Parts: sequence; structure tokens; C-alpha cells
Amino acid sequence: MIETLQWTTLIVCGAAALSRIPNLIHKKNRSLFYIFALLTVATLLSIKGPYAAIDGLLGNTNVANLLLRFIIFGTIYFLGIRIAKAFGDTYGLQLIRGRAGYVVLAAISAALIVLFALLDTEGSSAGMAAVSMKDERNATLVEYYGAAGRAYPAYVCLAILPAMLRGVRSSLPVMLRLGALLLAIGAAAITLSLLFPLIPQSLGSVEFIINYTAILCFVFGLTLIWLARLRAGRTVTAHPGRPSAGRG
Amino acid sequence: MPLPAKAFQRWLHGIAPDTSMADVCRLSKVKRTTLAQQLVRGKVAEATVVSISRAFGVNPVDSLAYFENYRDLAGPQIPPSPQELVSQIATVDLLRAVIARSTPAVEAGAEAEAEAGTPAGLETGAGQGTGPAGSAGPRRPGPLELSPAPHATSVKNWVDAIDDGELRHRVSAATGIAPQNYSAQLTANRLAPEVAIATSRAAGVGLTGGLVATGLITEEEANWEPGARQAALDRLTDGELTALAGERLQALGKMLRRQEQDQEQTEKIWENLG
Repeated sequence: MIETLQWTTLIVCGAAALSRIPNLIHKKNRSLFYIFALLTVATLLSIKGPYAAIDGLLGNTNVANLLLRFIIFGTIYFLGIRIAKAFGDTYGLQLIRGRAGYVVLAAISAALIVLFALLDTEGSSAGMAAVSMKDERNATLVEYYGAAGRAYPAYVCLAILPAMLRGVRSSLPVMLRLGALLLAIGAAAITLSLLFPLIPQSLGSVEFIINYTAILCFVFGLTLIWLARLRAGRTVTAHPGRPSAGRG
Repeated sequence: MPLPAKAFQRWLHGIAPDTSMADVCRLSKVKRTTLAQQLVRGKVAEATVVSISRAFGVNPVDSLAYFENYRDLAGPQIPPSPQELVSQIATVDLLRAVIARSTPAVEAGAEAEAEAGTPAGLETGAGQGTGPAGSAGPRRPGPLELSPAPHATSVKNWVDAIDDGELRHRVSAATGIAPQNYSAQLTANRLAPEVAIATSRAAGVGLTGGLVATGLITEEEANWEPGARQAALDRLTDGELTALAGERLQALGKMLRRQEQDQEQTEKIWENLG
């Protein structure tokens, strides 16, 4: 079930990235292509088989996991900025791109690297599961390492969440509001991932479901917004000269 | 709640006993698929009954009265109040009336005698305020023909016209519709027929007013007297008319502004995420 979810997410992300290639060529919103491409790579790195293969190339020391964390940071940083700009959320933008945002990013990155260095990371293992099972010390460190990895995405998502909720309740076109709703669900799910340590081991799959649901919500939300634009573009050409504003 | 399909079939049999469904649709311009779907679901829209009634020369109000939910539409209705009548005049028509009253010279030919010696439109208004409606009507002929109801904000204007301040609460209590949903419907210039009737009932006015405001039926079908809106408009003093037109303009400005902001916001979203 989790495997299916992972591969589905990978395919969806890949398809989303591919769908933006025309825009990439036309130099229109190119960052969205990169965001989807990074998401695809991140999803790929979170799946067992591909992870083992890639980490094998990097020396079997789970550097791929550290790489994955920073890919996620980069993706969420650019995505957060795009979304905050789109929804006119200057406060959220400030939180991500302002001083506070960079301090948070730097602190979390430093913590991540230090924790990684302290870990005995020999032996490729997706999600560092095997590493945490080595001994008590490694288990605790992996827990902190994971928390640090989730902290920055949660910070960015928390920053944009209010604007998404405002978007849902606004009087914008329905498809945009639906898009905002999906983005809000994704952002909320990622914020919730901060609570993962509280989830008992037996419910471990819940973490996966929350993670991949979040990614899917983001991708579908952005796709919906994109489709709304395509559709509006068509409508406009279909009715040239029709006034868009209401008549008195 | 729309009309039950069973009752609809019975009603249809009553007014068009020997007409096939295909012919009914063709004559009434109701899409066949639409009607078929409504029948399958067991709920026929009021608008369908109205269209079919018109096609067969039956008054839509009488037709609706055939159905349980609309029984009260049978028989004579309380005539619309002046406020209701004025609420069904389009904002542009109100503005035209303001302009017409403040430029008496335009109409000088038609009413030279009446206007003689009056320096401004205000005088005209005062004269109308004291005079009976009947005499005011013919004084505003030709060019100021009012466009037929409904207009772009007719639903909200109608509710505002009959609202005593507590109306929305009473409608909400009577129909179970949340006040914010009710307001949203008004802003969208929509109101389900049963809610329109519930609103009339809660306000103690004639039951057909809301049906006219929502465009389900025409003034004529609601038995409003021809020229009733014009007469009500003519009875407004210059002060009342100007204030009303001002309110409407302000509301219109707000609405347009909001639309412009939404448009701006939409474009910004597309620019960044499209």
C-alpha cells in the first residue's frame, strides 16, 4: 500500500514536471518546472529501491538522505515564495524570505549537518531505518535528525497556511479556491508532520500517508490552478469583447 | 425544494393532456435532457413549470399554485409595496430619472406648462410629492421607458426594500438556511423560489415579489399593474430618489471594486503559479 502510494506520487510529480516543459521552453514561470522536478527527485529518493541505488553511487553512507533533506528544503523554499507571492501574502513572504526565514533555515540546516555527522551512517537505508536500529544513541540522533528535516518545511507551510485559508474563503473563481484548499491541506499535513514523534511505532504508516498526501495535494492544487488558467484563456478567446465586470 | 415529479406529471396532464413530452419540450424550449433528468430525480425545477406554462398560455403563478409547496400562491395577492416596486428598477434607470429630473429643459416641450417658472428640478419633485400617482405617470413619457425586471442586483435590492432589520433572521429561522448562505445568495443575485416565498412571508408582503425579483416570473405574470414601477418612481421625491440612486451607486461601486480586486488577485496567482 505504501509502495503504491510512493510510486503514484512519483508518477504524478513526474507528469506535473513534464506538463511544464512547454512553459519552460517559453520561459514562463520556469521555477514551477524546477519545483516539480525537485519534487520528483525527492520522491524518488524516498523510495527504497532508487534510494539504495543512488546512495550506493554516493558511497553507501546515507549521504543521499542528507541530500534528500536539502532538496526538500530547496523545493519548499521556492514553492513557499511562489505561493506567497501568488496569493499576495506579504507577511508570509516576509517570514520565508525575510531575516527570520533565513535564520531559521540556517539554524535547521546546521543542526541537520551536525546531527548527520554525529551519526554512524554506514549502510544505505531509506529513511535511515537501519541506522536508528544500530544502538540507543543512533536511535535518538536519528529521531532528532528527522525532526530537523521536518522542521523547515513545517515552518514554511505554517507561514503560507493563513493565506491559503483566506484564499479558500475568498470570492475567487471556484477552481482557484479549490486549488487553495488543496494547498492548504498539503500545508496543514506538512505542519502536522512535526507531531510525528508522538505517533506510536505501530502506526508508522500514518507518517507515510501524511507525507505523500501532502505532496499529492500540493501537486494537484498547483495543477488545478494551472488548468484554471488554461480554461480561462480559452474562454477569453471564445468571447472577445465580452465585459468581464458586472453590469449595473 | 423543487416540485415532485408525480405532481408535475399530473399537472402537465391537466394543461397539455394530448401532447407528447417531445412536443412539450419543443414548445416550451426546455431541453429534453434537462427535463428527463429532473423527472428521473423526481424533482422538477420551478423554472421548468414556468416555461411550460408560458408555452401553453397558462399563468405560471397559477401553475405553481397547483403544487403543495406553492398552494398559497392561489388567489389574490397583496399588491407590491412602493419600495418593492422601486427596488425592481435598474440602477441605470434610477440614474436616468435623476438626470431627467435635474434637466427640466429636455422635457420642456412635453411639459412646458408644468415646468414654467420653476428654476430647478427640485420644484418638480416637490410637486410630485404632493400630487397623486395617477397624475405623475403621464408626465414622464417616452424616453424614460424602464427596462423590465429583474436587473443585476434586483434580488438584494428587493430584500433590502422589505427588510425591517430582522427579516434575515426570521427567514433563516423559517427555512433553516444559514444567514451567511442567504447573504451569499443575495449577493449573487439568486434566490431559490421557495426561499423567495419564505422571504415574502416573513416580511408580510405579497408572495410573488421575490419571484419577480429573481426573474422566475414577469411583473405582468405576478399581476403587477402596468406602469406600477414607473408610478412608484414618480412618487419618489427628489431627495428620496437621489439618496436611493446614491445608495445603489455606492453598492455597485463596491461590487465592481471587489470584482476588480478578485480579477487582480486571479491574475497574480496565474502569473506566479499558472
